[in-house]
Amino acid sequence: MMACIEIAPDAMKLLIVEDEVKTAEYLHKGLAEQGCAVDVAHDGIEGRHLALTHDYDVIVLDAMLPGIDGFTLLRELRAVRQTPVIMLTARDSIEDRVRGLHEGADDYLVKPFSFLELLARLQALQRRGRTQEPTQIRIANLQIDLLARKAWRGGERIDLSAKEFALLAVLARRQGEILSKTAIAELVWDMNFDSNTNVVEVAIKRLRAKVDNAFTPKLLHTVRGMGYVLEARDDGGARTEPMS
Amino acid sequence: MKRSITTRLVLMFALGALATLTLIGAALYGVLERELVRHQNDELNTHLQNMRYSMEHFGDLEHWARQQVKMDTLTPADASVRFWVLSDDPRFLYGKGLDEMERVNQGAAGRGMLTLPSSGRTYRTLSMRLAPFQERPAVRLIVGVDTAPFEHTLRTFLAALALLTLAAVALVMALGWWIARIGLRPLQRLSEQARALRPKTLSQRLHLERLPVELEDLTAAFNGALGRLEEAYRQLEGFNADVAHELRTPLANLIGGTQVALSRPRSAAEFQDTLQSNLEELERLRSIVNDMLFLARADQGEAATGLTAADVAHEVEMTIEFFEPLLDETGTSVAIQGELRAQATMNIALFRRALSNLLQNAIEHSAAGAQLAVTISRRAGATWIAVANPGEAIAAAHLPRLFDRFYRVDSARHDAGEVHGHGLGLAIVKAVAAMHGGATLATSEDGLTTIAFSIAERAPAAG
Repeated sequence: MMACIEIAPDAMKLLIVEDEVKTAEYLHKGLAEQGCAVDVAHDGIEGRHLALTHDYDVIVLDAMLPGIDGFTLLRELRAVRQTPVIMLTARDSIEDRVRGLHEGADDYLVKPFSFLELLARLQALQRRGRTQEPTQIRIANLQIDLLARKAWRGGERIDLSAKEFALLAVLARRQGEILSKTAIAELVWDMNFDSNTNVVEVAIKRLRAKVDNAFTPKLLHTVRGMGYVLEARDDGGARTEPMS
Repeated sequence: MKRSITTRLVLMFALGALATLTLIGAALYGVLERELVRHQNDELNTHLQNMRYSMEHFGDLEHWARQQVKMDTLTPADASVRFWVLSDDPRFLYGKGLDEMERVNQGAAGRGMLTLPSSGRTYRTLSMRLAPFQERPAVRLIVGVDTAPFEHTLRTFLAALALLTLAAVALVMALGWWIARIGLRPLQRLSEQARALRPKTLSQRLHLERLPVELEDLTAAFNGALGRLEEAYRQLEGFNADVAHELRTPLANLIGGTQVALSRPRSAAEFQDTLQSNLEELERLRSIVNDMLFLARADQGEAATGLTAADVAHEVEMTIEFFEPLLDETGTSVAIQGELRAQATMNIALFRRALSNLLQNAIEHSAAGAQLAVTISRRAGATWIAVANPGEAIAAAHLPRLFDRFYRVDSARHDAGEVHGHGLGLAIVKAVAAMHGGATLATSEDGLTTIAFSIAERAPAAG
């Protein structure tokens, strides 16, 4: 499962300031189901009031808002608090981006964004405070040594190429987190764009052949339409299906 | 206020006429003035010679008395001609206002101008000194002609001249307006033709036959622009149809799939399956829309930002590395050749995107086990990256259009097989090249298809 509260023992507390009702609604629902405590404000005034009077772990802030716009809200917030802020900008315009980051946003997302993308950014913001990356990861009987760059399955050494190991490590570091093909291409190969190619599918297929095919339980799952996730499941993965 | 050609022409005609007429008038005035002066001088001379003869030959008082009568007779009632004789002997003085004459500065002997303070009249004078003879002492003989009639003539002439000039300028303006209207009539015809142009009659052009040569260039240029506009318009129409077609399939799948799912009670697993299928279609739509937005920004002339100097061969290697799983799978190999030390100023993400589109395209269009080549070269102030793959020859007519949006050489072949792009891949390559001040090129010969793009050595400044 994707976990909003990966590190924090208590639920992550979020504020969503978004005037588009449908967007606010699905964000609220999606994040609440991830175990986060979510407040929603539909305009800048209400958003400012909530942001200034409550302690949030992260604020998701739309740039274009009725009442007062997101940039103004951010400026006023920064005068008082350092709550992490993810800005949502409507256009992929450099000015908005620069302006947002300049005025103290911690991250930004260009609308339309996918829910997975937002989750990944939230998790990245949470991870920021983490003290140290683990050097060993264990998922069921899969064991990964990130320093030695070696992997074992049930004690048996798996022979992986450098990129295959990088792919496995990216998935393992974010175990339980669904990674889109675009995110994988970016994290493993530094390709920052929708590539319209099946490279990631093929790479996952090849990794699965080495890591999963000969072993149980299955760990590398395809989440159709969304991406891939590395996790141990008890239910046999009703919502996943193996790659053909 | 808008500038009118007619008004400008009329004003220029008027200025031209005014300048010409003023010059002629000034010249005529000068001639007339000189002639009048000459005429007055002749008159003065005649009078002076007349007096001088009798005064030089007869010096007795009797003749002097007769001389005075003669001068009285010759002085007209209006005093337009006057005589003065000045001498030290009071018997030999003649003329009115002699005491004033004493005060008037006589100036050098000969010609001069004289204004009498008592009457205020100005005389043109001629004077002569006569040596003593018999009883007569040395005298100074002065003849004066009133200049008032002369001044009057000049003034009248000047007024007439000014009046005529103004009348002539007005006439020239009226004529000029009429001439300009006639001269500009072809322009009016041209604008009537242009006004008749409609999007529906895009192939219509302005007629050159009845136009004067001066307008031919403009009209030809305008027709050229119309031609380009027509082409762009047709492309846009085709593009809109392509977009609609491209979006229609996923939309139909979404609507149909959802309708089927909702038409009877189903298990959660079945709904989940429908949603997952929907998500795939939605991702496809998102990808098309994102790519089209990207192309639209490039169309608006947006230049690449975040430019850094990069090692071209290194970026090529990195992109090929990304494709390695796919290359391994198909047994395809890629060679990097050419100028491996080339450096270029580029946005690395955009460069990789363009190159990965080319590699994807090359892998899709070549048989398993094929040998691909990426060639880096430098020519004409640009760095070229060419991706070559062995494959079916592409007809020359298709080559330049490969970079058009949604253009497919053989749509049947692609729609049947597994398609990872949506017909925008090469259009994006072209957009990336344009954002770096570069160009694209496609060739197909000897069973080798090569598609290349370039990056200007001095990429446009970030902005």
